[in-house]
Amino acid sequence: MKKSILTLVVGFSLLLAGLAQANERLFVYNWSEYMPEAVIALFEKETGIKVVYTTYDANEAMYARIRLLDGKGYDLIFPSTYYVDKMRKEGLLMPLNKELLPGLVHLDPSLLNKSYDPENRYSLPYLWGSTAIGVHAGLVDASKVTAFADLWKPEYKGRVMLTNDMREVFGLALHVLGYSGNSVKEAEIAAAYEKLRDLMPSLRLFAAENQKQVLLSGEAVIGAIWNGEAYMAAEENPDIRYVYPKEGAVFWVDSMAIPKGAANPEGAHRFINFILRPEIAKMITEEIGYATPNKAAKAFLSPEVASNPTVYPDAELVHNGEFQNDVGDAILIYQRYWERLKTGR
Amino acid sequence: MHSERSFFKNGVILLVCFWLGIFVFTPNILVLITSFLERDAASFVAPRFSLGAYKTLFDPVFVSIFLASFRISLMVTLICLVAGYPFAYGIARSPRKWRRLLLVLVIIPFWTSSLVRTYALMMLMRANGLINTWLQKLGLIETPFSMLYTEGAVLFGLVYNLLPFMILPLYAAIEKMDSRLLEAAEDLGANRFQRFTRVVLPLTLPGIIAGSILVFLPAMGLFYIPDILGGSRSMLVGNLIRDQFLTARNWPFGSAASVVLTLIMALMLLAYWRSMKRFNESIIR
Amino acid sequence: MAKREKRLGRTLYMVLVYGFLYTPLVILIVYSFNAARYGSAWTGFTLDWYRSLASNQRLLEAAFHTLEVALISSCIATLIGTLAALAFYRYRFVGRKVLYTLVYIVMMSPDIVMGISLLILFILMGLPVGFLTLVIAHVTFCLPFVVVTVYARISGFDRNVIEAAKDLGADEFQTFRRVILPMIMPAVLSGWLLSFTLSVDDVIVSFFVTGPAYEILPLRIYSMVRLGVKPEVNALSTLMFAITLVSVLASQWLIKERKE
Repeated sequence: MKKSILTLVVGFSLLLAGLAQANERLFVYNWSEYMPEAVIALFEKETGIKVVYTTYDANEAMYARIRLLDGKGYDLIFPSTYYVDKMRKEGLLMPLNKELLPGLVHLDPSLLNKSYDPENRYSLPYLWGSTAIGVHAGLVDASKVTAFADLWKPEYKGRVMLTNDMREVFGLALHVLGYSGNSVKEAEIAAAYEKLRDLMPSLRLFAAENQKQVLLSGEAVIGAIWNGEAYMAAEENPDIRYVYPKEGAVFWVDSMAIPKGAANPEGAHRFINFILRPEIAKMITEEIGYATPNKAAKAFLSPEVASNPTVYPDAELVHNGEFQNDVGDAILIYQRYWERLKTGR
Repeated sequence: MHSERSFFKNGVILLVCFWLGIFVFTPNILVLITSFLERDAASFVAPRFSLGAYKTLFDPVFVSIFLASFRISLMVTLICLVAGYPFAYGIARSPRKWRRLLLVLVIIPFWTSSLVRTYALMMLMRANGLINTWLQKLGLIETPFSMLYTEGAVLFGLVYNLLPFMILPLYAAIEKMDSRLLEAAEDLGANRFQRFTRVVLPLTLPGIIAGSILVFLPAMGLFYIPDILGGSRSMLVGNLIRDQFLTARNWPFGSAASVVLTLIMALMLLAYWRSMKRFNESIIR
Repeated sequence: MAKREKRLGRTLYMVLVYGFLYTPLVILIVYSFNAARYGSAWTGFTLDWYRSLASNQRLLEAAFHTLEVALISSCIATLIGTLAALAFYRYRFVGRKVLYTLVYIVMMSPDIVMGISLLILFILMGLPVGFLTLVIAHVTFCLPFVVVTVYARISGFDRNVIEAAKDLGADEFQTFRRVILPMIMPAVLSGWLLSFTLSVDDVIVSFFVTGPAYEILPLRIYSMVRLGVKPEVNALSTLMFAITLVSVLASQWLIKERKE
């Protein structure tokens, strides 16, 4: 008798708990370790919306899933520049309702209205960064390093690293040759391939992740690296320097966007607006390490970080560099040369 | 004569047909069909028949990618076999009450993420990693060894991750062997070498085949471990197919590469089986 | 004595191999207590990572999901796989060769291809992605490993024993349960262990077939690793290892107790 009452009570309370769970939910799909737990917790507490957070590790994988699921299942995603470009062109994104996003005013206008999303109709920047040159000043003379072209110098033979991103690697080679990193011309891409082939004997590795360890351990002394990685490496060893090349660095932006089939766009807008708050943006950039596009938040940052060119390059450096855009079907050309590069042909 | 209308038997057959039919046959038919379609920028594939994907495969670049994977997988399989056989033998011949425990102890480390363990391997092998630091501290070397981002590191990492897949099937086959046969052979005057090649080897052959298959096939498809330990300097079949499906969004080509890969591996397996059978028969004779 | 030397040599070799298998694990356990966030220098003992892990609800939830899926899939895969090996060995039926080939095709398919094709299949079937599709996918890729292992064991079988059982009046099910199954148990166990291992570590197939509400650990770790393996991951791996080790030893001890 007692047992059955107990079961009833337990069952009933579970039922109640379940009903309470039938709260509003927000499905967020993001890179891992790209949003502080504290931010999510604050949002949940303030709005009562439960954030269901899942992760991915590559834009193309996220894109494939969103495509196949026809934009349904997720309310907020974080594509990088050229995927915003591609996805909005294919109608996979829901236009943003700017009226629900008063926090927009906090954003740095120089990062808005870029060609990958004119007037930011579909996306707003979340964090941004660059790929430029990382060099271990303790092992080589860093003062001589000023351009991507320096990677080809014979004194670095066998100790060069590159990121494992096809667009970034070709991007820097195209910059060295004076072309755009978003080139769709086969002749230019082929020329970049030839240039890269000359670099291959010098190359120690393509580092897809954990690039700071490669420099810190001295496995490579110079190479292409993300600014966030360089910043973290410099915190551990100030000999690690980040150099913006003469030819212009490769810039990228991770943006917030809403898939067209989102079940909870209102909740998504609320979350975006929450992230746009200066104090929240400050929390995010301080924990994640990459630069915030939120001008108001930047004002609150400690002066060492805000004036550190590794994280916050001045406008001229940004102007000299180039943001990544979608290259459409030319991706097949890049892919073919990338395969040839990696098979040594 | 026993009636063949066994409920159990029919149920089992039905279950197997059902599962394999829906979840293996159908997706693979989809892949096969996709390999004969055309790439479409907007929706992955366009419903037009084309042999373009297969024609592209004849490019020497892809042949070399396949050969690179094949070479590595073969070496990994052989190393696992040579290293794993004595080990599986040791477990199978250990006191009965310990066997299950020993076996499970082999596999428990592999229930932690292979990625995390591979990074632990890197911590060992890095220029400022544990091995180099200790060798330098002990005064055995001056400058650090360069162990990472070499083919050796890749082989090491792959063997490390695939060894249980050789050990477990080997164990299952060796354990079955009746040790009295060995004793009988010894009594008949066979020496250690003869006992091994004429009694143990043929009897455990199914285990060897099974273990080799369970190592070789996954090894052909693995690419993240070679990428991490080898510095992504070479492209393997797994990289190629991933890139074609995700980055280039060229599904017909990716599917064609997958189909051809499967065919080649199937042919190799067939040849391997036939030759093993012949070897087995010749031993018995 | 030659026999003792042989046994010593064998034991030494086994210890060596166990050492090889466990070294990275020991490293990661040790470093889960290392105060340094990055790098291999030891800067002091700390329980910080375990503390931050305990409060990282999402990571723990992902770990729980992974274990849940792995347990269920490996049991189902072992069941179906064992029965499949039995069917291939013992029964003649239409399409037997085709189905046998299909088992191998699963092993030969690259993960990406399987992941995408299964996702498309589920979409066509109208199945919502989530726990169910995840389990189905895991069972499917674990199956061949069970089939191959069990078949290798069953194929050396003395058919006379089975015939004897039949002559004594046993039907198919009884023959299986009382004659075949006990003799293939080591292979069934091996198959289960392999399945669990595969399931716990699968990233690519799971990425495609999981649902928006169901995060599993390998995916999480994969994405985390982009920024360098955090010590919390080491702490989590250590905990998972400790839990599995304890449960295995406990079950071993329990089985011993029961036998006595």
